[in-house]
Amino acid sequence: MASNRPQRPYVLIIGGGKVGYYLAKHLIERGYEVTLCEKDKERAEWISHQLGTVSIMVGDGDEMAFLATTGIERAGVVVAATGDDEDNLVACQLAKRKFGVPRTIARVNNPVNVKVFRTLGIDVPVSATELLMGLIESELGHSELVRGVAVKASGASLVDVALPDMSSLAGKRVSDLQLPDGELVVCIVRGGKPVLPRPDEVVEQGDELIVYSQTLDVERVSEALSR
Amino acid sequence: MKIVIVGCGRVGSTLARRMAEEGHELSVVDERVASFARLGEDFPGQMVVGSGVDEEVLRRAGIEQAECFASVTNGDNRNIMAAQIAKEVFKVQRVITRIYDPIRAEVYRELGLETICPTTIGAALLEEFFTTGHNAASSGTVLPRALGASG
Repeated sequence: MASNRPQRPYVLIIGGGKVGYYLAKHLIERGYEVTLCEKDKERAEWISHQLGTVSIMVGDGDEMAFLATTGIERAGVVVAATGDDEDNLVACQLAKRKFGVPRTIARVNNPVNVKVFRTLGIDVPVSATELLMGLIESELGHSELVRGVAVKASGASLVDVALPDMSSLAGKRVSDLQLPDGELVVCIVRGGKPVLPRPDEVVEQGDELIVYSQTLDVERVSEALSR
Repeated sequence: MKIVIVGCGRVGSTLARRMAEEGHELSVVDERVASFARLGEDFPGQMVVGSGVDEEVLRRAGIEQAECFASVTNGDNRNIMAAQIAKEVFKVQRVITRIYDPIRAEVYRELGLETICPTTIGAALLEEFFTTGHNAASSGTVLPRALGASG
């Protein structure tokens, strides 16, 4: 049967805890082909009552032999969503390096591991704690914490940098800011309001800069601007 | 030589005690305080309570100055992750990890991680005893020949 919609990728989810289960449920509702892998038989049975048996397989996401039975080679993306960082790391590494899965997304429980995961080849490490921290800080109106948002899967990111007190950038015009290659100030947030970063706009104390970067190295960008 | 060991079970504690006796500087990481009892009361090295897959904990254990690193907890994935952090993040020179699952051990060996798989080694030793009547591990130390036989 022909469909006008482009075919959606096959998504393999490792870990049927709350995160994995709801993720699977919503992706299925949106028309994705999803397989959820859960190692605990009872939990898997419960999930199969909710989602239907086609969507769930009982097995360990770090066992090569099991992964080979899940159709993983044709998965467009593998999401490792267990509560253990080490299990998520290994599942994603096996998916990527042994089965050639193009994109891997890992739930990161300890926010410190976000950077580690990136270093170790995981495409998208997601830490709920880190995201919540960012939201809380921006709700409270002082975002000392730097947040980075990946722009689709392009390898570019938007980084939100709150200038520190006595920033060396204050008083400089946007055109005089020495940003590394591939970086651009796309917005200045001043007193909660957006200001267009025209070349002659002068950066003030307390400004927040939104910077477009052609890398995902959020920390380097923020470091460069926080001096 | 500064050595960091993650996991203070039987292997981790034995290794730590042996290396400390040789005069090396040891740091042992384990999540359970009780595990450190295996090191004995006069262990001269540092004992760090925490997760071996946490950069901050490893830093506390002095990994930045370490020349050798071994991860020998009872979790394969934990060992793999700890070893990769040591190797790729902290650039420790000699990094090795124990992996019980022979398949995962093989995969990560191919991916460039130095691994020891006690399952294959144990099976090879047993096989050698059955076929030759010689127990290479009987003296308490395994002979290189038996290790070679494990492939």
